[in-house]
Amino acid sequence: MEYSSPWANRAKWCYLLGVVFCLMLPVFYTIYVSFNEFGFGSPKYKFTLDYYVNLFQNEEILNALQWTLILCLLTVVATVPMSLLAAKFYKSARNKVPFLILMLMPLFIPADIMAASLLVFFKNLNHYLNAWLGLDWFNLSWYTVWIGQILWTMPYAFVIILITMSRYRVQQTEAARSCGATAWQAFWQVEFPQIRPGVFSSCAFVFILAFNEYTRTNLLNGGFATFTTYVVNFMLSSGMEPEVYAMSAMISVTSMVVILSLIVYMLTRKELRESEERGAGTPPRSATMAGTG
Amino acid sequence: MMTEYSVEVENLGKDFGPVRALNTVSFQVRSGSYFVLLGPSGGGKTTILRLIGGFERPSRGHVRLMGQDVTGLPPNKRGSTMVFQNYALFPHMNVERNVGYGLKLRRLPKQEIRERMEAMLEMVGLAGLNRRMPNELSGGQQQRVQLARSLVLGTDILLLDEPLASLDAKLRKEMCLELKHIQERVGITFLHVTHNQEEAMTIADRIAVIADGDLIEEAAPREIYETPQTSFTAGFIGENNLFRGRIEKVEADHVTAVLSAGKVRVPRRGLEVSEEQEVTVSIRSELLTLTASPPEGDGNQSLPAEFVEQVFLGLTTNYLAKLEDGQQVLARGIGEGEGESFAPGAPLHIVWETKDGLLLVK
Ligand SMILES: Nc1ncnc2c1ncn2[C@@H]1O[C@H](COP(=O)(O)OP(=O)(O)OP(=O)(O)O)[C@@H](O)[C@H]1O
Ligand SMILES: [Mg+2]
Repeated sequence: MEYSSPWANRAKWCYLLGVVFCLMLPVFYTIYVSFNEFGFGSPKYKFTLDYYVNLFQNEEILNALQWTLILCLLTVVATVPMSLLAAKFYKSARNKVPFLILMLMPLFIPADIMAASLLVFFKNLNHYLNAWLGLDWFNLSWYTVWIGQILWTMPYAFVIILITMSRYRVQQTEAARSCGATAWQAFWQVEFPQIRPGVFSSCAFVFILAFNEYTRTNLLNGGFATFTTYVVNFMLSSGMEPEVYAMSAMISVTSMVVILSLIVYMLTRKELRESEERGAGTPPRSATMAGTG
Repeated sequence: MMTEYSVEVENLGKDFGPVRALNTVSFQVRSGSYFVLLGPSGGGKTTILRLIGGFERPSRGHVRLMGQDVTGLPPNKRGSTMVFQNYALFPHMNVERNVGYGLKLRRLPKQEIRERMEAMLEMVGLAGLNRRMPNELSGGQQQRVQLARSLVLGTDILLLDEPLASLDAKLRKEMCLELKHIQERVGITFLHVTHNQEEAMTIADRIAVIADGDLIEEAAPREIYETPQTSFTAGFIGENNLFRGRIEKVEADHVTAVLSAGKVRVPRRGLEVSEEQEVTVSIRSELLTLTASPPEGDGNQSLPAEFVEQVFLGLTTNYLAKLEDGQQVLARGIGEGEGESFAPGAPLHIVWETKDGLLLVK
C-alpha cells in the first residue's frame, strides 16, 4: 500500500464514485424533480415543498406509511433473532448442506411465484382451518404479509450473520464456559459483542428489504396498503404525478439514511469501545453521556 | 478435604460418528501433581482433556473430579478450568476484564476482584498490562493472560491443551519452567496435553503416553525415558534404536535374542518370556558406540555395521551407521569426535554394554 502510486489510488476512487454516481443518477434525478414546482421534464426549475406537503396531508398515505413502518419493525424483530438461531444451529450442525439449501431456498424462487404460492397456500389453509376447526387465522391481512416477509428476508439476514459469525472462534465460548459462564452468559457476554456488527447490518438490511418489497406485500396484504404498494398503485391509476416523485424520493432517502447511520454508528462505536477499554484518553463527553443515559 | 486423586478417569471412551477417537482409557491423577498427556498427533489427547473439562460428552465411561462423578455436568459446573492453545482470549475485552471475567460471573465484590486480578497478573509476570487489548499482546503474553484468567478462579484442577505449542522454541522452554514453578506455588493439579517430549520431561511429575486412542503407559518421566515398557514408547520418547527379533534362549536373568544382524544378550528384567517369542530390543542412542573392532567379553554386545555419516549438532554429534539388513542405527556422542573416526562405507561394530539393552515384549 505504502509504495502504490497516489494517482492509482485516486483513479480507483474516481472510478468507484463514478460508478456509484451513474447507478444512482436516476434516484438523484427523482429527488431533484420532486422539489420542482413544474414537475418532470420541465425546462424551468422552481424549488417547492408542495408535493411533500400534499403527501403529508393525505390520510391514506400517512396510514400506509405507518403500516409500513410497523410491518418493517415486526419483520426485523422476527427475522433477525430467527436468523441468528439458524446461524448458530448451522455452525454446530453435523450435516450442513441440506440445512443451508433449505435456508437459502427462498432466494432462488422468483418473487411473484413465491407470492402467488403463498397466496394460494394461505387461502387453502384458511379454508380448511375454517371448515374443520372454525378458525379464521390465515385470512389475508398484515400477518400473512408478515409471514411472507420473514420467509423472504431470512436468507439475507442468515447469510450476513453467518459471515460475521465465521470469524468467531468457538474456543472463546468454551473458555467462558470453563470460567463458569452458562451457555446463555457465554453467548451474550462473549459471542454476541463480536457478532454485533453482523446483527445490526442484518437488521438494517431486513428493514430495507421489507420497506421496498412490492410483489409479496401487494398479493398478500388483503386490503391495507404499504408505502410501496400505494406508490405503485397510485402510479398505475393516476400516472406519474409529481407526488410519485416525492414518494419515491422518500423511499430512497429512507433507505440511504438507514444504511449510512448504521455505518456511522458501527464505526464510532468500535472506536469508542476500544478507547474505553484501553483507558487511553477520555472519550468525548457526549459519548459518555449517551453511554450512561 | 483433599481427595487423594483429583482426576479419576474410568473406562472413558469417545466416538465421533464412525471415528473412534478414544478407545477405553482409565487413569488417576494425584492431587497437586503435574500430569502430562504425551503422544503423537491424532492420538486422542485433546479428546481426553475435553471429556474431562466437559466440552464433549463421553460415549462410555466416567469422569470423577475431586471424588465427585461429573460425567453428566456441563463445563461451568465442574471444578476445572481450561487453557487453550490459542484464540481463546476475549478479543473485545482488555487484559483486566479477561482475567476478571470468571470472578465477575461469581458476583464477587469489585474490590476483591481487583485485588485477586492484580495479584494474578503479578504472578504470571504481566503487571501493568491491565489495559492492553489481546491483539496488542505477544503470543507468550496472551498465554499468560489465559493462565491468569484460569488460575484466578482458584479451582482445584487446571487443564491445559498444548498451551505452549504456538510459541517459538526458546519462549516455550522458558514458559515451560515457569508453568512448573507456578504449579508448585499454587499447588493445584495441572493436567497438560502436549506432543513435545522435551516439554513433557521438563514439567511432568507423571507422564501418560497416549496413541491411537489408547493409554499406552503411564510413569514418572525418568522411568518413561530409561525403561519404557513398550516398543511404542521406546520409539516415541528419546532417540532409541529398536531392533526386532525373536528369543532363542531364556536364562534366569538374561535372554538371547536373534536379530536380523546377529545374536545379542539382553537382561530379562523378570519378564515372562518364552523361546521363539517375538521381541524388540531397544538401545538408547547415547549408550551406543561405534568401534572398528568389537571388545571381547560378556559385558558388551555388538553388531556388525557400516558407517554412513556423522552430523555435528553443537552439543552432540550424531553418528549414523547401517546394519547389514539396511536398518539405520543412531549413536550420539557429546561434543565432537572423542571416539574413532570412519570414512563412509567403512566396516565397524556398534557396541553397547549388556546391561543397557532393554528387552520389550509389547
Ligand atoms: N469433532 C470431531 N469429529 C470427528 N473426529 C474427531 C473430532 N475431534 C477429534 N476427532 C478425531 O479423533 C482423533 C483424536 O483427536 P484428538 O484431537 O484428541 O488428537 P490429539 O491427540 O489431541 O492430536 P493433536 O496432537 O494433533 O492435537 C483424531 O483421529 C481426530 O481426527
Ligand atoms: Mg490436540
